[in-house]
Amino acid sequence: MNDPVHDVLVVGSGAGGAMAAYELTRQGHKVLMLEAGRHYDARTETPMFRRNADAPLMGASTPDKDFGFYDSTVNGGWQVPDEPYTTAEGTEFLWWRSRMLGGRTNHWGRYSLRFSEHDFKGKSRDGLGADWPFDYDEIAPWYDRTEALVGVCGTNTGLDDMPPSSDGVLQPPPVPRIPELLIAAAAKKHGIEAVPMHRAVLTRPLDDRAPCFYATPCGHGCSIGAAFQTTTSLLPMAQATGNLRIITDAMVRTVTTDAGGLVTGVGYIDKKTGTERQLGAKVVVLAASACESARILLNSKSPRHPDGLANSSGQVGRNLMDSTGASLSALVPALMNRPRYNEDGHTANHLFIPWWGHKAQADGALDFPRGYHFELGGRFAEPGAYVGGDLQGYGPALKQQARAHYGAYVSFALRGEMLPNAHCYMDIDPTVTDKWGIPVPRFHWRWSEHELKQVAHGLETAKAILETMGATVGALPTPEEAIKKGGEIIHEVGTTRMGDSPGDSVTNQWGQTWDCPNLFVMDGGVFASNPHKNCTLTIMTLAMRNSAWLATQLKTGAL
Amino acid sequence: MQKPPQDPNNAAHPDGDAPAYANRLSRRESLKLLAALAASAMLPALPAGASRADAATGVVDAGHWPELELQPVTAKGYGKDPDLMTPPEAPWPLTLTPAQLSLLALLSDIIVPAEGQSPSASAVQVPTVIDEWVSAPYPDQQRDRLTVLSALAWLDDEAALRFSQPFTTLGAAQRLAIIDDVAYDNAQTPRQFQRMAKAFARLRNMVLAAYFCTPEGMEDIGYMGNVAIAGDYPGPTPEAYRHLETVLAGLGLSGYAYRPG
Repeated sequence: MNDPVHDVLVVGSGAGGAMAAYELTRQGHKVLMLEAGRHYDARTETPMFRRNADAPLMGASTPDKDFGFYDSTVNGGWQVPDEPYTTAEGTEFLWWRSRMLGGRTNHWGRYSLRFSEHDFKGKSRDGLGADWPFDYDEIAPWYDRTEALVGVCGTNTGLDDMPPSSDGVLQPPPVPRIPELLIAAAAKKHGIEAVPMHRAVLTRPLDDRAPCFYATPCGHGCSIGAAFQTTTSLLPMAQATGNLRIITDAMVRTVTTDAGGLVTGVGYIDKKTGTERQLGAKVVVLAASACESARILLNSKSPRHPDGLANSSGQVGRNLMDSTGASLSALVPALMNRPRYNEDGHTANHLFIPWWGHKAQADGALDFPRGYHFELGGRFAEPGAYVGGDLQGYGPALKQQARAHYGAYVSFALRGEMLPNAHCYMDIDPTVTDKWGIPVPRFHWRWSEHELKQVAHGLETAKAILETMGATVGALPTPEEAIKKGGEIIHEVGTTRMGDSPGDSVTNQWGQTWDCPNLFVMDGGVFASNPHKNCTLTIMTLAMRNSAWLATQLKTGAL
Repeated sequence: MQKPPQDPNNAAHPDGDAPAYANRLSRRESLKLLAALAASAMLPALPAGASRADAATGVVDAGHWPELELQPVTAKGYGKDPDLMTPPEAPWPLTLTPAQLSLLALLSDIIVPAEGQSPSASAVQVPTVIDEWVSAPYPDQQRDRLTVLSALAWLDDEAALRFSQPFTTLGAAQRLAIIDDVAYDNAQTPRQFQRMAKAFARLRNMVLAAYFCTPEGMEDIGYMGNVAIAGDYPGPTPEAYRHLETVLAGLGLSGYAYRPG
């Protein structure tokens, strides 16, 4: 059943899919979008101003809502009902999914840091991993356009880890809070700068989106559109063109091909009825998330594509990367009983610590190859289901201890670059299928020495800064103990990486698969490396750039 | 979590309401045995947490512990797509008995009594929040359920051993004599109170959390957020900045103070 009304079929409504739909529809192309989850309206479903006390279990995390009751994730989390995944024996990997319009953009951290030339050309520098098939200068204008469209607050710091945005692109960041200012001073004594975080949170109005009013955690979603999510921005904008049609509860099983190997459309499950349907399209864009898109490709076997679609390189599912993660926190006695004020801010980092070690690494002074940053924690947060402090006794003296400890802990969350390695990949489980009969991913994972040494360095650095603040840190965990599980930072990328050569990559620099010219990937799967900076801004930037290129191909008749 | 043995006397109600939680007979027997041992002999110490089986071979220093055999809570959770705008008021049946709730309320108010303008824990329904918590079907909460119910049973057992009465009927001085023994978990905590001190610490944290989540509790601890701000985020108050300057000076960091770039 061909549907010639639509030029492009986009799979996924998150960061990559929504940006692709925005750019293509803006240029007059008809787009049909399939989303595996249900419809979701952030304007009417976001629990703004709700108190923890009003939620079951004071809002605490549960297996039903892994990030707490009010987290916006629908029908997802570490497990999705009826849609399992597996891990190879002896390995651990966590795969966060959501089954809702807008995908994971409804709850993401909104941290939006540009990759730099340094980030794109790591292999040229140290021989590890893979270079990206373009230079920073080529993508810089697309970062500008994406940041302006999405709305990013922050400043141009001039630091080598943070390439500048063009004048007028960034919105002003919120002022720092007391714990951040103390950390900044302590870090500075070690020669390390803390600077405003870049976040996709409006501090000025944009389109019909209101600026942040500094209440309600962004992870709940944002009914006023201040915190960026595709459901309040790109999707309604694309729909306003009249060129976008969205089908929700549509779980894509395969990309279909003709005898010549060209893509003809997709087969999907209509979850509401459980029936399988076929849709035709001139071009298919996969943006279902790195691992979901790779799963679809590996499940799309045909005589012409016996190892899965677009997999002549054997790289589909390989090069799976997450960010490294570790955290260290301590009580800062000097912050006990400090003066109260409203420290919600935009509810995440106002200041953070970008990677400062470029020179030391170039000089060979570090025993690990790639960088990391610290996200900083510590504020008068809304009381929840657990109270901090080594509390003893009872009665008024106990309450005084609790008051004294409130807002006196600070934390450092390390987020670092991992290198791809042969032990980290996904394939298709030979026996397990989901409720719809679709074979599921099986994950394989092992951190390398590069990541463990990086985490060890981060822990030592955080400890030094904490001690400079007067905190007692004690013995550090080993990096093996401290490092988060694969997938736990939810920055999984690399499973359909782009490159210069069909021999060792799945797509070219435009996200166009080498094997099928009318098949594109526009999610994190195309990342050639995974710089320590959170991936979503670059997913969106690439999707915008590559959809603009795709639009040109359609216009010129090349596709 | 290991599945506890079925107890025909305590079968859960078919609709999941009012599950039974305690094999009180075996616990009472255990207690009687302990009392007899305590009265009769000097016995070698074994580590805290020793089981009833250990008790039979002679444990005094490890103290008593109600080895409750709880049936798992079988109610359903709120699911993966609950209504966030109108959170469920009663997501699952509450399971504490009136007697347990009364003891919990008494304990909650020992932990957080009324103080100045701040109400006591029971005045802001902390016991109800804890009832909801320990009645929840999730693994963390079921672990806490065992901890809390064991702590409540332990208090009655201890009150019976010391004063031959349930905890709730003790005088204030008698209650605090017991609480003082278990409210501090440190190197000096006597072995027989160590296990209860850990359980008390968990319960104490739950009481504090439930208390500080209430509007009255937020005012008490000084949380001032969750209000809409028009215009830019104002940041710290002058008083907060002054305090920071003092902190920086005290740490020798004044020269490194943050300056916006």
